[in-house]
Amino acid sequence: MENIREYIPLLVPVIIIQLALMIAALADLIRRPRTKSAKWLWAVVIVLVNFIGPIVYFVAGREEEIEE
Amino acid sequence: MNFVIVLRKELLEQWRTFRFLIVAAVLVAFGLSSPLLAKFTPEILKTIPNMPPELASIIPAPTLADAVTQYVKNMSQFGILLALLMTMGMVAQEKERGTAALILTRPVSRGTFLLAKFTAQALTFAASLILAALGCWYYTLLLFEALPWGTFLALNGLMLLVFLVYIAVTLLCSTLARTQAATAGLSFAALILIGGIGSLPRISDYSPGRLFGWGAAMTLGSGEAAWPALWVSVGLIFAALLAAGLVFRKQEM
Repeated sequence: MENIREYIPLLVPVIIIQLALMIAALADLIRRPRTKSAKWLWAVVIVLVNFIGPIVYFVAGREEEIEE
Repeated sequence: MNFVIVLRKELLEQWRTFRFLIVAAVLVAFGLSSPLLAKFTPEILKTIPNMPPELASIIPAPTLADAVTQYVKNMSQFGILLALLMTMGMVAQEKERGTAALILTRPVSRGTFLLAKFTAQALTFAASLILAALGCWYYTLLLFEALPWGTFLALNGLMLLVFLVYIAVTLLCSTLARTQAATAGLSFAALILIGGIGSLPRISDYSPGRLFGWGAAMTLGSGEAAWPALWVSVGLIFAALLAAGLVFRKQEM
């Protein structure tokens, strides 16, 4: 066990990456006027499902506003 | 309009649609956690309560090979999954939204349009894999010992080639299908087909998936080269892109 404790700091970058992905997804969700299915539902998915939640949101949840 | 301008637009699109962020985040996270997982797994197993001491004593100590195996396993699963997920919308979504027709009214050839998309995606995966490899190399150094960088680089190159196969095939599916949902179905069918054919005994030496095993073995200083698998992979990429180009040229927008 002592062994493991020594290496805990190495997990920090992994957690930071995970948080960055989550924050980017949430920021996009807040700014977006409309999404496919309810916004609050996406917020729950993004926050609760590690990694997969934000990715599913980016792939399937965003409704593009048409430019030009 | 020339290729560079279209490519620049596609790269900007990679950034705006968060594709680069997603691919980089997932691959780097697994690059870092693979050696960690390899190191921790035996320790975690030992903490299981009531584990008979005889059993605890035969749990082998983690080695460099475990770190490499873990890295290749995670990268192969999540890299291929990302290749499909991130590529399937590339053409189909633009057809759904009507933006493809918009771009093609400008002097952009359809071949350029597809090739720019493939190149942008290839660059996204290459950059992400470089970051992931650096992370994995550094963590492996901290937790185990230094990996031979030359063969480790070759391993990552081979992995990138496999990802490119799936990117090209998914781009073809995205061109064939009308909607993103249809592309998803089509490309998962292709994934199962390529994986299924590749696991047949005599054919496995020619399957792109064989490159993962070759790369891992090479990094650990053993194993046989699998050149046929490499040539088949390159061939698949060209064939898929060529087919996509031919289909797209005839397609009504």
